Amino acid sequence: MYCVKCGVRLNDGIKKCPLCETPVWVPEDAPEYESLYPDTYPKAYRDSSLAAVTIMTVLCLLAELVVFVVCKNLYGELRWGGYAVLGIPLFYCIVLLPMWFNEPNPVVFIPIDHIATAGYVLYVCVKTGGSWFLSFAFPVIGIACILFTTLACLIKYVQKGWLYIFGGFFILLGGYSMLIEFFEHITFGTDMFRWCLYSVGACSFFGVFLILAAMIKPLRKLLYKRFFI
Amino acid sequence: MYREWFRLDTAALIFPAIVRSDWCNVFRLSATLNEDIDRDVLQQAVNDLKERFPSFYVTLHRGLFWYYLEQSKEPVTVGEEYVYPLSFMGRAELQKNCMRVLYYKNRIAVEFFHAITDGRGGSIYLKNLVARYITLKYNITVPLTDKILNLDDKPSAEELEDSFFKNSAIASASRSEATAYRLKGTKEPKGYKHLITGILSSDVLLSKAHEYGASVTVFLAAVMARCIIDMQSERVSPKRQKPVKITLPVDLRRLYNSNTIRNFTLVLNIGVDPRFGEYTLQELCNSINHQLHTYATPQYMAGMIASNVFPQKNIAVRLAPLFIKNFVMNTVYKMCGERKGCINISNLGVTTMPEEMSRYVSRMEFIIGNQRSYPNNCSVISCNGKTYINMIRNIKQSELERRFFSKLVELGIAVDIESNRG
Repeated sequence: MYCVKCGVRLNDGIKKCPLCETPVWVPEDAPEYESLYPDTYPKAYRDSSLAAVTIMTVLCLLAELVVFVVCKNLYGELRWGGYAVLGIPLFYCIVLLPMWFNEPNPVVFIPIDHIATAGYVLYVCVKTGGSWFLSFAFPVIGIACILFTTLACLIKYVQKGWLYIFGGFFILLGGYSMLIEFFEHITFGTDMFRWCLYSVGACSFFGVFLILAAMIKPLRKLLYKRFFI
Repeated sequence: MYREWFRLDTAALIFPAIVRSDWCNVFRLSATLNEDIDRDVLQQAVNDLKERFPSFYVTLHRGLFWYYLEQSKEPVTVGEEYVYPLSFMGRAELQKNCMRVLYYKNRIAVEFFHAITDGRGGSIYLKNLVARYITLKYNITVPLTDKILNLDDKPSAEELEDSFFKNSAIASASRSEATAYRLKGTKEPKGYKHLITGILSSDVLLSKAHEYGASVTVFLAAVMARCIIDMQSERVSPKRQKPVKITLPVDLRRLYNSNTIRNFTLVLNIGVDPRFGEYTLQELCNSINHQLHTYATPQYMAGMIASNVFPQKNIAVRLAPLFIKNFVMNTVYKMCGERKGCINISNLGVTTMPEEMSRYVSRMEFIIGNQRSYPNNCSVISCNGKTYINMIRNIKQSELERRFFSKLVELGIAVDIESNRG
């Protein structure tokens, strides 16, 4: 039998062309199709790293339990144990949670990490009787989350114009450091422009350099030649 | 010559470093016999080859500075095939054995982790395995020709050597080259691989290649390049197009007269830049032919060997812990290994065997696994007057295969198609 579209000859009894999916007319007296491979699938592969993550998960749960029991027995309440009890899930979110996935998507995990961090910082703020969460920690973590998620999104889905992306990112990073100092100023009453101008200068210089390198082909070529691995 | 453990050869150093949780560089050779396989006899044949081919019966281990291969304590157990070839060989499996021997109906297949050998070394092992199987099963004597070895002999030092070290130049060739167009598609669920085999008459293929003044490898590479150029031009605007390059492995044994059965192959990325203008198939053949003849020379390849050998001679590199080497090799592989070619075409050429043996063997096949980021790969072998072109992919779309085999039909070469999907 031949595929009418591709012109290739096919095995007897095959229902459609493996190349173009065109259905093949099979005469009634055609021999039964004989499969070239068995139907069995390989055993589901269990990665050894998953075993390590499972062990780490159990250890984390164990650590949680130990801290909880020790604090309850010693003080009847959590006290310092609260930092550990919440710190362990934070560590888990940032380090271990992505390891469950074969190719963890940073666009998903970066916001999760920031939300977990914000939750932990909120606990610290409440526990220490502070009132700096909404005016300082929340905007600082929130803006960092937007900045890094955008970067991850551009890297993952645009996949070109790296120099423009990183150039823009560094310039925004400079602006972000200025915002941190601004939130510090309105929350804690510290002076403005104590340190942020250094980071703004350094980040902007590097960012502009990357954008220039993206725009000027000879410079880009020179850099590539010098730093090629 | 008994050796308890082996250093990885120069080409093999990269393979353990780039193993991922769902990908590993493996290839497969199979022989189809006229009768169904007897599992027990095959197991006996596999066991009998252990002394003669010690470098195949090994396990992969981590040292502080390098990976190494150790003689395996567990026997290589013959197993049944799965629905697709080259299923994932994870680190856990590599710590038990670096190859699998499989059978299905009348077919014997061996799947090798690339760190232990290359296609040529693998074909020597398979031929000897089949010869031993036939000897045990049918009680005949297979003459010691066409790389059939005497199993009573000890393996020579030459067979187990790292031939790269012996043939390195004093200066290294540059690795710098343009990034190639990358084929894309919708990934199949974890692990599944589509295999399409095109079966052609070797004589017809050869005479068609000669019409274009090319060898079979060059002709197939030119047809493949033609298909990829067409696919790129339909998807990418002319200004944003990238060079279309085919990765062609070069067997260095012929160039340097080596008898090693470990890795001794290097690859060349050869192709054209479609932005320079339209290419006819004849022009593609000419261009690929000239490039191949320019680079596949003992001198140039010695330079390429040097760029792989030099780091091993550098004391600072040697002293770097394995995890740093792994990181560097991964980075180098990402930058140089897979971005410089669109697809591999690995042609093992004509496989010959003694007349007494070929009576029992109806066909042989050679399949290379997917690269880490290429979705498609292609391997070719000729046996008993037929050429078997195996195209494997881990994506749903069969666009490249359809274009490639249709193009061959268009050129007047009849193609029989088989698939693992049915």
